[in-house]
Amino acid sequence: MVSRRKKQKAGGHEGSVPSPPGYSAVPVKFSEKQQASHYLYMRQHRVRQGTQSTWPANRTLFILNVPPYCTQESLSRCLSSCGTIKTVELQEKPDLAESPKEPKSQFFHPKPVPGFQVAYVVFQKPGGVSAALNLKGPLLVSTESHPVKNGIHKWISDYEDSVLDPEALRLEVDTFMEAYDKKIAEEETKAKEEEGVPDEEGWVKVTRRGRRPVLPRTEAASLRVLEKERRKRARKELLSFYAWQHRETKMEHLAQLRKKFEEDKQRIELMRAQRKFRPY
Amino acid sequence: MGPAPAGQQQRGSTSTGEPEVMELALEGLGKEKASSRKRAQAEAPAEGLPQPVKLSREELYKEPTNEELNRLRETEILFHSSLLRLQVEELLKEVRLSEKKKERIDAFLKEVIKRIQKVPPVPEAELTDQSWLPAGVRVPLHQVPYAVKGSFRFLPPSQITIVGSYPLGTCMRPDINVDVVLTMPREILQDKDGLNQRYFRKRALYLTHLAYHLARDPLFGSVRFSYPSGCHLKPSLLLRPHGKDERLVTVRLYPCPPLDFFRPCRLLPTKNNVRSAWYRGQSCPDYASLEPPTPHYNTWILQDTALEAHMHLLSSVLASAQGLKDGVALLKVWLRQRELDKGLGGFNGFLISMLVAFLVSKRKIHTTMSGYQVLRSVLQFLATTDLTINGISFSLSSDPSLPSVADFHQLFAVVFVDPSGRLNLCADVTASTYNQVQYEAELSMALLDSKADDGFQLLLMTPKPMIQAFDHVVHLRPLSRLQAACHQLKLWPELQDNGGDYVSAALGPLTNILVQGLGCRLHLLAHSRPPVPEWAINQDPPKHKDAGTLTLGLLFRPEGLTSVIDLGPEADRPEAAEFRQFWGSRSELRRFQDGAIREAVVWEAESLSEKRLIPHQVVTHLLALHADIPDTCIHYVGGFLDALIQGPRETSSTGEEALALAVRCYDDLSRLLWGLEDLPLTVSAVQGAHPVLRYTEVFPPAPVRPAYSFYNRHQELASLLPRLDKPCPAYVEPMTVVCHLEGSGQWPQDAEAVQRVRAAFQLRLAEVLTQQHRLQCRATATHTDVLKGGFVFRIRVAYQREPQILKVVRSPEGMISMRDTPASLRLERDTRLLPLLTSALHGLQQQYPAFSGVARLAKRWVRAQLLGEGFTDESLDLVAASLFLHPEPFTPPSVPQVGFLRFLYLISTFDWKNNPLIVNLNSELTAEEQVEIRSSFLAARTQLPVMVIVTPQDRRSSVWTQDGPSAQILQQLVSLAAEALPILEKQLMDPRGPGDIRTVFRPPFDIYDVLIHLTPRHIPRHRQAVDPPAASFCRGLVTEPGPSSLMPVLGYDPPQLYLAQLREAFGDLALFFYDQHGGEVIGVLWKPSSFQPQPFKASSLKGRMVVSRGGELVTVPNIEAILEDFAVLGEGLVQAVEARSERWTV
Repeated sequence: MVSRRKKQKAGGHEGSVPSPPGYSAVPVKFSEKQQASHYLYMRQHRVRQGTQSTWPANRTLFILNVPPYCTQESLSRCLSSCGTIKTVELQEKPDLAESPKEPKSQFFHPKPVPGFQVAYVVFQKPGGVSAALNLKGPLLVSTESHPVKNGIHKWISDYEDSVLDPEALRLEVDTFMEAYDKKIAEEETKAKEEEGVPDEEGWVKVTRRGRRPVLPRTEAASLRVLEKERRKRARKELLSFYAWQHRETKMEHLAQLRKKFEEDKQRIELMRAQRKFRPY
Repeated sequence: MGPAPAGQQQRGSTSTGEPEVMELALEGLGKEKASSRKRAQAEAPAEGLPQPVKLSREELYKEPTNEELNRLRETEILFHSSLLRLQVEELLKEVRLSEKKKERIDAFLKEVIKRIQKVPPVPEAELTDQSWLPAGVRVPLHQVPYAVKGSFRFLPPSQITIVGSYPLGTCMRPDINVDVVLTMPREILQDKDGLNQRYFRKRALYLTHLAYHLARDPLFGSVRFSYPSGCHLKPSLLLRPHGKDERLVTVRLYPCPPLDFFRPCRLLPTKNNVRSAWYRGQSCPDYASLEPPTPHYNTWILQDTALEAHMHLLSSVLASAQGLKDGVALLKVWLRQRELDKGLGGFNGFLISMLVAFLVSKRKIHTTMSGYQVLRSVLQFLATTDLTINGISFSLSSDPSLPSVADFHQLFAVVFVDPSGRLNLCADVTASTYNQVQYEAELSMALLDSKADDGFQLLLMTPKPMIQAFDHVVHLRPLSRLQAACHQLKLWPELQDNGGDYVSAALGPLTNILVQGLGCRLHLLAHSRPPVPEWAINQDPPKHKDAGTLTLGLLFRPEGLTSVIDLGPEADRPEAAEFRQFWGSRSELRRFQDGAIREAVVWEAESLSEKRLIPHQVVTHLLALHADIPDTCIHYVGGFLDALIQGPRETSSTGEEALALAVRCYDDLSRLLWGLEDLPLTVSAVQGAHPVLRYTEVFPPAPVRPAYSFYNRHQELASLLPRLDKPCPAYVEPMTVVCHLEGSGQWPQDAEAVQRVRAAFQLRLAEVLTQQHRLQCRATATHTDVLKGGFVFRIRVAYQREPQILKVVRSPEGMISMRDTPASLRLERDTRLLPLLTSALHGLQQQYPAFSGVARLAKRWVRAQLLGEGFTDESLDLVAASLFLHPEPFTPPSVPQVGFLRFLYLISTFDWKNNPLIVNLNSELTAEEQVEIRSSFLAARTQLPVMVIVTPQDRRSSVWTQDGPSAQILQQLVSLAAEALPILEKQLMDPRGPGDIRTVFRPPFDIYDVLIHLTPRHIPRHRQAVDPPAASFCRGLVTEPGPSSLMPVLGYDPPQLYLAQLREAFGDLALFFYDQHGGEVIGVLWKPSSFQPQPFKASSLKGRMVVSRGGELVTVPNIEAILEDFAVLGEGLVQAVEARSERWTV
């Protein structure tokens, strides 16, 4: 096992940082003050054949192990020396097929607490990617000219951000609902138009909204129907009528007792194993 | 240790509390994961878990044999169920003596008898001349007064008989005693030996001589004296074998007079056999007729004469019937679990065997009954018969010279006359002891009749130590004070009767005074019996005061406990004088609202916690007044733990009042909500969903009065914001209230849209509340915060059908079905189950005022152990509730202290792996449903969380324990509880005072790998710490009242925010432990599994680094950087990161 001091030396030694094939390891620190550093594992964004990805393959840099205090701005500042950056996207997990996300409403999707993340950095030109892969580092997340808030500073500013303007919320809700109402209205008019009109094969679609509403096609409803049938059948059946029925109930009772007995024996066995019978 | 949650098997027997525990637990985690993977491959059943029984069809339906049918029928008739039968059989197997041991004991007994017969005689000497006694042995009796006429010589016993439980076969492990009766030859005794302790002196000398000779014999490992029945006039000699059998058996020697030596009529209870002239050393010869009777003294002599007769009786009754023997054995276990069988006046095995014999003679028990039925019948008899009023008699003789049962009642508290008609078997049993036996029998009968599944466990396997069974406990110490008390109470005849034993003499009168004084507050008063001493033969016997402490247990009636006034009779009634005399200076004449003028006693108590301690005032006052016992001798244990749930600046209240204030404010708010106009839909229900609203918040909120200069201000929204240059402001947690709106066709049928409509309602609600009631409100998309009376409520609008909408799944064929999704479950939990639970527990608090205290102490303890994060608030509240709803074999606690002890007991013994904890709120579950829940639990065990709590609203999924605790955390809690309970019990039972009561609340820190020290400046709840800091920071509050119009800083707790970040970033690598109530340290434990080198994987590289190990590239955690990250993420909050690097290697 590697002792602490030895490892520090190994970590500080430039060039000898091992990295998995295809990746290059770039050390990253929060600021000058820190001794040890994390490693960003970067490579050019590639996908297996056949999978779709909307990230431009030759201009996108894929970064693993981005520390939690690293923001989009600081990451783009760190990499700006390699070339002009178009976008920086931080995500929880690598997500090949997904396209860049729509910005979510801050009212309904509060900012999650960041952990270690992955990043997709899209450069203006393909050269940026190769420049980034040859970075030596260590990169600094927070510098004197561009400090990154953390600790108490961050929590106080987060708290301030969480006190949101209700008017903006109202506006957002109203816009959404307007669009929603419009969508619903459209669907309804379409349904109304289609009502009673057979399609090209002559089938007529029957909906709940029509003149003669039908049973909704839900699981609960079909279960209800089955249950009703079962009860109807049970009512007709004769019990304790034949001698064999009597005999069978008796046997059933005995079997139940036996089963219970076996279960109890098993429980006792378990209790005995736990020394449950020593009273004191 | 009983409990065995999942994962214990792998770990073997964990030694509790060792620093390794957690580590072991975590290693267990890794192993378990590995093994579960293996299991999945092999599809083998989970080990240790009960599997549903699979009997083949053939086996189930084969023709029954006669034997099997008989056994099934027997079980049906003689026992409750087959399970009970098996359990009883197992228990008996455990306590019964094995044949092998019996042989060894028999061999030893033979030797003993041989040696006794060989002891040489000594010539006759005066009783007062004890110079013949060899050095190295002391007479096992206090010879006070010393002068006694008569002479003594030693001769070997004329007859040696073995009596007691051993020959009867009702002897029980672990302490096996064999009683051997030595009949003293007639030559030793003289006429009138019954007088003035002469018989007892001779008996003691007889034993002294025997002891001297037997002690020199190498056969015996130890030869000691003892008072086996607690009676200090009747010592006996204990012999234990030498070598490895020393623990096997104790032979007790009892000398007894020859048959018919004493004339029975001289020993009737009404006769006097201890002359005052002799006893008090005065010469007052002419008062022979005024001599007081000495019933106890006479009984002790009679007991010796009747030993053999009783033995014959018992052996003739018990010999033939195994069921009776089993019954006696079960009863002995029952008594012992309740600490009723030991000491002077205990309900010992002999007494219970005689009671069984009596019931057989009365045909209440039949010899063919099973042990369980005997147990039941005896309990039934005890529960329904009060021997303190209606004594029973074995005697069939109609001899008019014999005293009647009524005569016995005159002289004894409890009456059970033996066949001779002269001896009261219960002579030494006090009324309190019998009441306790009766009370226990009643409880047990109720339990047996309730058909609870684990009746056996509760009845026979659960110990009931005094500190857990009684609400308050009083220690009287030193006992020598009782001697003065006897004089104050004028108990000279009793002292004479008891041979100077002032403890027994004073016990009865003292308990009577306290029972009368505590009146309607008291349900039951019990006292400890002096323990049975044992001493070496070269020492003097222990003195009465050496018994240490007299401990009284008080069990209260919750309805009477908190009344501050004790009403007496009207002033002009003759009873008034008596009342005044009883209460002394505390009795006052008072005029009441109905015009009556009465004597009354008023106690000073403001808060509920003070009211609960009124019995302390009563006891102190009465003992000082009547028995001259100063309060320095009274050590009252009742409210020591209250300090832990008192608010930071509170000294007299445990917070029930503050909680009630918050609840009243909530009630006002809910009335406002009900009456709101101008809302598009009406409010259909307002329900609380916060611990404060069910009285279980550890530290109740106080109305907030912020000092504005301490904060930044958000002008538009009238809100306060924390300031960077000030210490962290006071922590204000908004109380969640769920507000259901009526259903309507207007609600959209789409989850996203419902969310928006709800947000619109939140906004509207804030507007309306501000307009109509001038309340400060702040709305967000999910809630509206309302400031009312200094409290902040968080109103969440809910729509009843929303969980359904979230559940809808449309199959490809267009079938609509309902499937639980995480979002729907969460919403259902928060808007339906949580309010239901809150209102049910609120109701529970109204029924049991101690609930709040118990639940809060319990949560306080769990959080103080840094395990608060693993357990939801609700799950701990439910465990506390179960102590009230299912108190068996106890009764619901009336004070927090005893409830907390039982909480620790429950946690440390409950078998979470094999049992669900059923909390039957509002008694909605029937017995059948509970049975069904248990069986379905077993079938589905592997899918359920480690800790399963079932309530009537939540019968299958145990929502409050779904997300934790993990098996390891639970195991850690169990072992901590198992360790804390004995420490706390010992502290509370220590008559010198509990010492530092906070000991069990301090967490062990030596088990953690990294400690993160926080600066108190940014811990808002710093003053709530277990050890409150002498000084802390100003939190921006003003003390003078006045309504605040600005919304205070809500839910801003830097340590919690910090922890959330740590868990998110390093949750895969480590566990973080913290006490949210003012903890200054975060404990970090690395997960051993994550320290294993792992191959490189893009999806799991959080905080790890690639290194080459033996030519292969693997990833290990980048500990150096992570330790620095701890400081970086918590900048300003973290004072130091203390890495104990010697504890781990990468």
